[in-house]
Amino acid sequence: MEIRGLKKMIDLKADVSIIGAGPAGLAAALSAKENGAKNIIVIDRNSWIGGILPQCIHDGFGIEETGSSMTGPEYAHMYIKNAKNQNITFMKETMVLDIINKKIIAVNTKGLLKIKSKSIVFAMGCREKTRWNILVPGDRPSGIYTAGVAQAFINLYNIMPGKNVIIVGSGDVGLIIARRLKFEGANVLGVVEILPYASGLPRNVVQCLDDYDIPLFLNHTIIEIKGKQRLESVTIAQVDKKGDIIIGSERKILCDTLLLSLGLIPENELANSLGIRLDSFTGGPVVNQKFETNYPGIFSCGNSLQVYDTVDVLTIDAKKAGKNASLYAMGENNKDSGEISVKPGAGVRYVIPQKITEPGKIHFTLRVIKPSGKINLKIVTKKSVLYKKKLLWTNPANMVEFDFEISDFLIKNKKDIEVFLDEKK
Amino acid sequence: MKKNKEITCIVCPIGCKIIVKTDGNSVQLIVGNKCKKGFEYARNEALDPRRMLTSSILVLNGEWPLVSVKSSKPVPKQKIFKVLDEIKKKKVKAPVKFGQKIIENVANTNIDIIATKQIPKI
Amino acid sequence: MIHSRMKNFHVAIIGGGIIGSAIAWELSKYKLDTVVFEKECDVAFGTSKANSGVIHSGINSAKDSLKAKFCVEGNKKIKNLANELGFKVKWVGKYVISKNKEETKELEKLMKTGISNKVPGLKLIQGNDLTIKEPNVICEKALWVPTAGIILPYGFTIALAENATENNVKFLLETKVTKIKKRNEKFIIITNKGDFQSDILINSSGLNCKNIFQMLEEPDFNVYPCRGEYLVLDKKYCHLIKSMIYPVPPKEYGVLGVHITPTIEGNILIGPSAEFIDDPGDKKTTKKMMDALLNESKDLIPSIPDNAVINAFSGIRCKIASPEEGGWADYRIEESKKNPGFINLIGIESPGLTAAPAIAEYVIEMISKHIELKTKEFFNKRKIEKRFSELNPKQQSELIKKDEKWGRIICRCEHVTEAEVIKALSNPLGAQTLSSVKNRCRAGMGRCQGGFCTQHIVRIMNEHFKIDPNKIKLKSSKSNLFNGNTRIKKND
Repeated sequence: MEIRGLKKMIDLKADVSIIGAGPAGLAAALSAKENGAKNIIVIDRNSWIGGILPQCIHDGFGIEETGSSMTGPEYAHMYIKNAKNQNITFMKETMVLDIINKKIIAVNTKGLLKIKSKSIVFAMGCREKTRWNILVPGDRPSGIYTAGVAQAFINLYNIMPGKNVIIVGSGDVGLIIARRLKFEGANVLGVVEILPYASGLPRNVVQCLDDYDIPLFLNHTIIEIKGKQRLESVTIAQVDKKGDIIIGSERKILCDTLLLSLGLIPENELANSLGIRLDSFTGGPVVNQKFETNYPGIFSCGNSLQVYDTVDVLTIDAKKAGKNASLYAMGENNKDSGEISVKPGAGVRYVIPQKITEPGKIHFTLRVIKPSGKINLKIVTKKSVLYKKKLLWTNPANMVEFDFEISDFLIKNKKDIEVFLDEKK
Repeated sequence: MKKNKEITCIVCPIGCKIIVKTDGNSVQLIVGNKCKKGFEYARNEALDPRRMLTSSILVLNGEWPLVSVKSSKPVPKQKIFKVLDEIKKKKVKAPVKFGQKIIENVANTNIDIIATKQIPKI
Repeated sequence: MIHSRMKNFHVAIIGGGIIGSAIAWELSKYKLDTVVFEKECDVAFGTSKANSGVIHSGINSAKDSLKAKFCVEGNKKIKNLANELGFKVKWVGKYVISKNKEETKELEKLMKTGISNKVPGLKLIQGNDLTIKEPNVICEKALWVPTAGIILPYGFTIALAENATENNVKFLLETKVTKIKKRNEKFIIITNKGDFQSDILINSSGLNCKNIFQMLEEPDFNVYPCRGEYLVLDKKYCHLIKSMIYPVPPKEYGVLGVHITPTIEGNILIGPSAEFIDDPGDKKTTKKMMDALLNESKDLIPSIPDNAVINAFSGIRCKIASPEEGGWADYRIEESKKNPGFINLIGIESPGLTAAPAIAEYVIEMISKHIELKTKEFFNKRKIEKRFSELNPKQQSELIKKDEKWGRIICRCEHVTEAEVIKALSNPLGAQTLSSVKNRCRAGMGRCQGGFCTQHIVRIMNEHFKIDPNKIKLKSSKSNLFNGNTRIKKND
C-alpha cells in the first residue's frame, strides 16, 4: 500500500473495529459495548445491516437463545435495535481494502478511511461454493445460481430466477429455498444430494421437501449441464459407496434453473494477507479461547471462523470475541499464563478453539469426520483422560458443542490436549 | 376411514419414523416413537398439522420492493396455499413498520400476517 | 432492384472478433463509411474471447507461412497498440521445456524454426538455471522466448472495436447476415436488421467463414472445428510461475501437451486441449479433459493443488485442415477473383490474436486497390482510464470527491466500483449484457464468481439504465438471467 495519499484519507479512531455487520458482528459489537469499550465501529459492505439475515425470511432463528423461533429479519432487528440504543457506529456500503498495523483502510462514498483501532474483530461471514468448486462439466448457460444469490433475488429484489428448478445440495440453504420456490409457483423438480442422507436438519427435510412432495435424490450427483443460451437440462447420476458414478444410472432432467447449495467457504482474504494462521479444516483462523488469532488484538468469530449450523451457537462465540476485543482495547488483557494446543484426534475433523491460554470454562465446538451411532467423546492429555461424554449419534453436518473446564495445572505444565471419538468405553 | 400415516418426527435429530393410525378425528394407534415428545408431535401431525408460514408482500413506494412477513401463528397445512394466494395479491404502502399487521384474519383462519422487517418510504 | 434507402457503405465487415475489429480500427483512420455486422450481443464473442491470451513470438509457425509472417509482424506492433488503446500487455516470456534427451532435440529444432522466422532473443538454457528463475518447474532444458507476452484477448478486441466506433465505424450488434448478393459492382448484404450495400465485403466471421463464403461462391475448403478446454486457477497461485511454461509439442497420442499460462490479472490458465468436434457452437467443457488438464499440469508443476480451479471454459479453433491431414493449414487471406472486393479470411486460428494487427494492415492494402484511402485529419484517441484498484490512495480519494460512485465497491473480489460498472454499461458499442460488463471492468471474474456483484450489477442496470431485469441477458440474446417477479405490481 502506497504511503502517498494516506494523508488524504479520513482519519477515524475506534476502540474496537468490527468488520461485518451480520449476526456475528452485531453480537460482538453489543458484547464489546457491555464489556467497557466506548467507541465501536462496525463496517459492512452492504447498504443494510444484518448481513445475510434480511434475506433469510424463514423462521428457526434464536430458538435456543430466546425460546421463540424468529425469522432472520426479526433476529437481526433484535440486535440492531439494541446496537442503535448503545451508540454503536455503523458504516454501511464500506469495503475494507487493507489493514496496516491495526489501521483499517476502507473505502465508501465519502472517500478513503483510515480507522485506527485498538482491537479488530473479523466477522466477514462466508461466500458460497460455485459450480467450479466441484468442476461440473458441460455448457455455460444462464440460469445457474448459488442458492444464496437466488434467495437474495427472490426475497429482496422481487426477481424470480426461473420456473423449472433443480437444486444441488440438501443442506438447510438448499432445503429452505426449495420450499420458497414452491411457494412462489416454481416447479421444483428435486434436490440432488451426493451423500446417503440429507445434510440439513430433519425438520427442514420434512417441512420443505416431504410436505410438498419434492423428490430428494440421495446418493446422486450432477454430471453434466446443458443449455445453448439458457439452461435446458442437467444430467444426474447415482454414486456408489466410493463416490464413483454408477454407469447406467444417468438421468437427464429438463429444467431451466439450477441452484447450487454446495457449501460455504469462510471469507479470510484479509486474514491471509496479514499472515494470520488459518486452520485448513475450518477454513478460518486458528484462535484461542478468547477467539483471538495469532495476531495480537485481532479476533475472529462467526461464519468466517467456521461455518456454524445455527445462529444461536454462533452468537455465543461472537459475544466472547467481542468481549475479549473490548478487554484488549482497554488494556485489560489478562496476562496469558502459557499456551496449550487442542488437537483433533480420531474421528474429529476440527475443534475450536485450537489454543488455550488461560484456565477457565471453555465452550468447545467441533465437527466429526463421519456419521456414527452411540459413541464417546473424550478429552485426554498424553497420560490421562480428562473428560468423557456419551453421544447418542454424531454427524458431520451437526456441530458438537460442550463446555469443559481447563485447569491451571494444564496450562502451567504445557499439557496439550486431544479431543477424539471412541467407541470403546 | 382409518388411515396409517407415516411421520418422521422432527423433535430431535434422531428422526424416529412413527406410524399413526387415525380416522381423521382421533388417533387409534401410535408406534415407533422413542419418547413422549415424539408421541405428542406425531399426534398433532396426524390430526392437525400446522406450519409457521413466511413469505413476502409487495410494497409500494418503499426502499425495497418487498417486505418479509410471517403468520402470527402456525397455519393449518391444508390452508397454506389459500393463505399464500391472499398474500400474493396484497399490496402495502410504505412505510411499513416492524411487526405491522398487514393482513388480518387471512383466509378465514383467525391468523394474521405480520411484517418482520421495516421498510422506509423511498 | 437497388433501394435508394438501403444503407450504403464503402466497406462492410462480417464478424466482430479480433480480426474484424482490427480491420475496422485501421479503416476508421480513413475517410470511409465502414460497418461491422456482429451476430452476437457484443464483440469478441467467439474464438476471440476464449483463448490463452498469448502474444506469440512466431517460433511455433511453419517457416515461410503467412502465420509466421503475420505473427512476427503483429508481435512488433502490440506494444505501441497497447499504449495507444490502453490495454495491458505483459512481456512475461515463455519457456518451452524438455523432460528428456529426445524432447531436447525437439527444442533445438524449435529454436531453428524460430531463428529462420526471425524471432529475436531465443536462448537455450539448462534445467538447473531454469529452476533458479522458476523454482516450481523441473526440466532438462528450456528454450527461453522473450518476445512472448500475455494480454486479455477480449480487452484487446473491445479496445479496437470501441475506438473504431468512436471514429465513426458502425458496429451493429445482434445483426446476422442471412444472404449476400452481388449487383453490378456492389454487394447487397441482407441481415435480420435490414439490407445494406457496400463496395467491399470482408468475411472475418471466424468459425462461420464457410457459411458466409458460400452465400456468394462455391467453397473449396472445409472448416474443422477443434475445441480447446481451459482451467482457470485462483489468483492465490499466481506465484507458481512468472513466465509461460510450455512442454515440447507431444508426439504421443492422447497427450495434450498442456500449456501453463499466467494471465494479466494474476490467474493461471491451464490448457488448451485439442479435440475435433462436429458442432462449431459446442463450447462445453468435459470431465475427461478437465481431469486430463489438471493431471498433466501437475507433471509440469507438481505443486498445483486440486482445489485451485475457479473456472473452466472452452474455445473453438477454426481449422481448415482435417485431423487426417494433420490439422495444420496456413491462413488463407484472399480476394475473390470471381467477385472482386470480396475479401475472405479463412482458417484464422492461433496465432490469430498476435497476427491481427498485421493482417489488418494487409487487408487495408487490398482495399486500397479499390478505394482511395484518404487519412482523416482528426482521429479520436481512446480515453484511457485506470481501474480504481490500480490507483494510489490520493487518486482514489480525488475520484470519489468528484463522483461518489467511485467509493461504492460492488465487486468484492476485484474491487470494482459502481462508477466502473456504469462506464462499462455506457460503452460506445451499446453492449449491455452481464458478460459485457464482466469483460470491460472485471466484475464477476473473481473467486466468488458473481456471488456478491451480480445483484449490484442488476440493480445498476435497472436503476441507472432503466433496463427491465426480465430483459437482462448473460451473454447471448436468449440467455435471460431471470424469469418474472416474485410479486407483480399489476396496474388496477
